[in-house]
Amino acid sequence: MKKFRLIIILCLCSLFLVGNVQKRVIDDVNIATGFGINKSNGQLQGSIMIPVFKADKSIGNFTFSAKGKIPRDLVSEMQKTASQPIVAGALDIAFFGEDLAREGIIQVLDVFLRDPTIGARLNLAVVDGDVNDIFKGNYGDRGNHEYLRQLLEQNMKVHNLPLTNLHFFLADFYEEGKDAYLPVLKKTKNDLVNITGIALFKDEKLVDILHENKMFYFKLLVDKHTQGSVMVKEKHGDASVKSITSKHKIKLLNRNPYKFGVHLKLKGYLTEHQGGNLKKSEVEDLEKQLEKQIVEECTTMIEDFQKKEIDPVGFGHFAQSRTRNFDFNKWQERYKSAQFKITAEVDIVQIGVIK
Amino acid sequence: MLQGSVQERMKISPYMAAYVIVAMQTGMGVLSYQQVLVKDAGHDAWISIIATGLTVHILVWIMYRICETVEGDVLYANVYLFGKIIGNSFNTLFIFYYIIYCLTSLGGLIEIIRTWMFNDLNPIVFGAIYLLLGIYIVFGGFRTVAGISFLGLVIPSYLMLSFLIPLKYGDFSNLLPVLDHTPMELVKSGYNMIFSFLGYGILLFFYPFIKKPQQSKKWVHIGLLGTTFIYTALAIISFAYFPEGLLARSIWPTLEMWKIVRLPFIERFEYLGIANWALIMLPNVAISLWCASRVAKRVYHLNQRKAVIVIACVCLIIVSLLQSRDRMNLLFEVHSKVGLAIAYFYTPILYLGLLIKKKVKTK
Repeated sequence: MKKFRLIIILCLCSLFLVGNVQKRVIDDVNIATGFGINKSNGQLQGSIMIPVFKADKSIGNFTFSAKGKIPRDLVSEMQKTASQPIVAGALDIAFFGEDLAREGIIQVLDVFLRDPTIGARLNLAVVDGDVNDIFKGNYGDRGNHEYLRQLLEQNMKVHNLPLTNLHFFLADFYEEGKDAYLPVLKKTKNDLVNITGIALFKDEKLVDILHENKMFYFKLLVDKHTQGSVMVKEKHGDASVKSITSKHKIKLLNRNPYKFGVHLKLKGYLTEHQGGNLKKSEVEDLEKQLEKQIVEECTTMIEDFQKKEIDPVGFGHFAQSRTRNFDFNKWQERYKSAQFKITAEVDIVQIGVIK
Repeated sequence: MLQGSVQERMKISPYMAAYVIVAMQTGMGVLSYQQVLVKDAGHDAWISIIATGLTVHILVWIMYRICETVEGDVLYANVYLFGKIIGNSFNTLFIFYYIIYCLTSLGGLIEIIRTWMFNDLNPIVFGAIYLLLGIYIVFGGFRTVAGISFLGLVIPSYLMLSFLIPLKYGDFSNLLPVLDHTPMELVKSGYNMIFSFLGYGILLFFYPFIKKPQQSKKWVHIGLLGTTFIYTALAIISFAYFPEGLLARSIWPTLEMWKIVRLPFIERFEYLGIANWALIMLPNVAISLWCASRVAKRVYHLNQRKAVIVIACVCLIIVSLLQSRDRMNLLFEVHSKVGLAIAYFYTPILYLGLLIKKKVKTK
């Protein structure tokens, strides 16, 4: 019995000792929610956005900025001006300036990979314009980071932006035969930020920006279940179709030379029709027209990717998964001469509550 | 000769044997086995896991045969086969093996806490508390150790649900084409997988504590199947979630998969997972302390309570010296090589030796 008492006393004593680790009380730290980085004149320029919780329950913003040689250096520079430690546990958004993205963002990604406190759901984007400026706008009472995060997330969920975050970017980046992509943002007014396209990467470097008009077709090609909306130009009048679900199915039709069949299946509903009364045959015409539009747009887009030697759809990865002893060195050459046969199947299941 | 017979009231039910073995198997290996696995056989390595899992069944069958032949534990089998002096020196080696086992578990846990949560955690203080808990459990006898094994598996089992979320983000075409690697590469991966399965050897030591050993066989094999299934499922999820290049770079892929989990009440799931892992590691530490002290008691006729305190002190001193990735790797290496030798070489040889000796004696 005496021994047990001794053990219990020892346990209690050690409880006090083990509490002796670094504490991070939420009121006493600067919670970094946004991180922006760009390169100018050979130096990295970074800023970190911190929410400021005000008495009237609205959320203000504070931005730390610094210059340095490597990304971590920036943070320690910022730390010098901060009254409380900056912690990265709640980092939601990370923006790259276009100049830095064109030079390659691998050194920043290394920080994100190495730091265990950074989550895989971090939203990444490329910024057209000044990165520091985008944090300094005034986007409502919920705080700037909340606006920017929701802007990206809701567009991915119900609109034309394909799914991207740190996990997807790294998965595409490290996957052989697939290239990564990120959304492009531009600050248009003091209180609004616009999604202006998709940045296409070759390895860690940005090589091209896809125009926002093509985002819907791009999303059809890269995402599994797609929501989004598209305008259909048709002789009875322009119409707008919102997709409910979509599927893409890739088939390897031939190996020498490579020929891929891409079948896109789309279920959607009509949200707008300029032609007034809608007859049954017109819906079918509309479906046909949209099918034609999808095939045309996707074909030109893929041919464009081939010319630029990028593969965001992952045809290389697909070919590898269907071929034993696949050789990626040869693939680079053969991708250029690969052929694509794109077919589409559109089914408009709803036309709304009026005829 | 004392065969280490055990009083009826200190024995455990047959099905509890499975919990002890599975609890001993699940440990640090689950967090990091994917990266050694993927080096050779890439995305086909799940086949190697199943194959290695099957060899474990054979070894466990041999272990049961050994214990049945001598009607006692491995310590008696050694003495029976090799004589008192050589047999007992063999037995002494088991004390060191289980000290190493305890060290890899405790050292690994401390390393993870220091990397992922608290950089400035004091390993001596944490180790001391953890080992005190281990000593306390061993003081309760083997029934308490088995009980902790049960709790250490059942309570954190909800963590399995958390892997459904990375499943959603996975790309299963990563697993194609199946069998894209040479048989040699598959064998190499299978060899690397051996270390993650280690721990079932504990059966050789607690066999006399099972009430109806015959009935426990069924449960132990079911438990081993469960371990194989979990390892395979987790490997498939990891291969789908990570591209190979990224998986080879991660030190703890399982923990990294939790980075994608975000629940309304907890932003970062790893913290919950690591905290739970402290409970999963508890049976490993308690069982290895129990086993090391049990061997000391049987071989040197020491008081088990005194032995466990001495062994825990030795563990604590070594743990405080293990403060870098290199030393941890060295320890893991030693542990896995010794474990491999015991499981795949020593056990079958011991069995063959016993068979021959029995034959000679009956003639």
